[in-house]
Amino acid sequence: MGVLALVGTRKGLFLLTADDERDSWQVEGPLLDGWGVYHAIVDERDGTFHAAANHLVYGPTVQRSSDGGKTWRRSHQIGLPEQSGLTVNATWHIEPGRPAEPGTLYLGGDPAFLSRSDDGGETWEANRGILEHPTRDRWPPSRGGLLLHCVQLDPSDAQRMYVAVSGGGTFRTVDGGATWAPKNNDVEFDLVSDPYPEVGQCVHKLVLHPARPERLWQQNHCGVYRSDDCGDTWQRLDGNGLPGPFGFTIMLDPTDPDVAVVIPEKAYEYHYTVDGLGVYRTRDGGQTWERMVDGLPQQAWAAVLREASAFDAESMYFGTQSGSFFALTNGDTWVEGVRHLPPILSVEVTAWSE
Amino acid sequence: MVRVVVPSMLAAQAGGRGHFDVEVETVGEALHALPVADLVIDERGELRRYINVYVDGSDARDRGGLACPLTGAHEVRIVAMLSGG
Repeated sequence: MGVLALVGTRKGLFLLTADDERDSWQVEGPLLDGWGVYHAIVDERDGTFHAAANHLVYGPTVQRSSDGGKTWRRSHQIGLPEQSGLTVNATWHIEPGRPAEPGTLYLGGDPAFLSRSDDGGETWEANRGILEHPTRDRWPPSRGGLLLHCVQLDPSDAQRMYVAVSGGGTFRTVDGGATWAPKNNDVEFDLVSDPYPEVGQCVHKLVLHPARPERLWQQNHCGVYRSDDCGDTWQRLDGNGLPGPFGFTIMLDPTDPDVAVVIPEKAYEYHYTVDGLGVYRTRDGGQTWERMVDGLPQQAWAAVLREASAFDAESMYFGTQSGSFFALTNGDTWVEGVRHLPPILSVEVTAWSE
Repeated sequence: MVRVVVPSMLAAQAGGRGHFDVEVETVGEALHALPVADLVIDERGELRRYINVYVDGSDARDRGGLACPLTGAHEVRIVAMLSGG
């Protein structure tokens, strides 16, 4: 089966397609021309495309297309409650709901809000448990915003889900979103006097393993972590083979819960890869890491953002801020499928046939 | 009747239409009448910071902003103010 990649960029959305070999890619776009597409995803329940599209002047939007990207409709109610004193700065992530909840979608954004739609993305209602969280005054904002950027639904439990905030940490609900418990035990935040606070951690990417949903991985500002108990405890994993603790994105293998792939970057103010474009994989749950750079440029100062990677049962995919899109072929070799796109902000994939 | 002219990204969001003829009294009413009103007016009802509105060539911010009267006006032009390089 071939693959369709929705590649969100600083200047619009591109549709990339390849057959089963994944070594030759066709490009269509830009759709949503001129919009910064922070995230775009296909809702597997009905084929609708959803995009978190932002513009420096026209502001934040959520857009959807039911005809493969030819025409788009904007959500008309994404604002936050007036009494909150907050307004939406940007939309960052759209997560389609579970198969048993058609029409439901989740939206994360800045300033650290989670909204839910029950009408397919036309209107949204902000989650009060997040907006009014008792620890919210201890979530430090940064120059890039205060971002709720990851929403992970537990496929085995309709009431359990996770969100991640930069910087606030990981939060879990077990009552469908009414209340949220911080899940940052053993996760370091090295900027404050207590390096293991209840909240304030800067999670860069949180991913739940689809076949073992009690297992979560996170690439944090301060290291790579794995939890095997729904976030109750975390084990730090970047000490054995990674060149550093810092990075943004993380990819998994849906057929093997012990596999994870990260792309470390020079930390803090810098945000680019060191020693070429170095991708690192673990096959043993993070105990050891190996460099996997076959096919990647070794003279490179690349940056791969949190949303700019994806995985399916056959392969992994990522895009760089320098506009290159890579796919893993034969399990070990990367192919640069497309280059010279605008800076890539997000990648999602879905099955596709010509 | 006044003609509201929008730039191309807003036209794309309005089904390809680049101008709208509206019968209104003020700039605010003209903008609210657009299918892209949410892209020029923020969620608290203010004109977005880097949207300029020119009424027959005059900046509406100098004439009351959204309250700027359109009596006798012919054209309202929306411009996205972008800088950089």
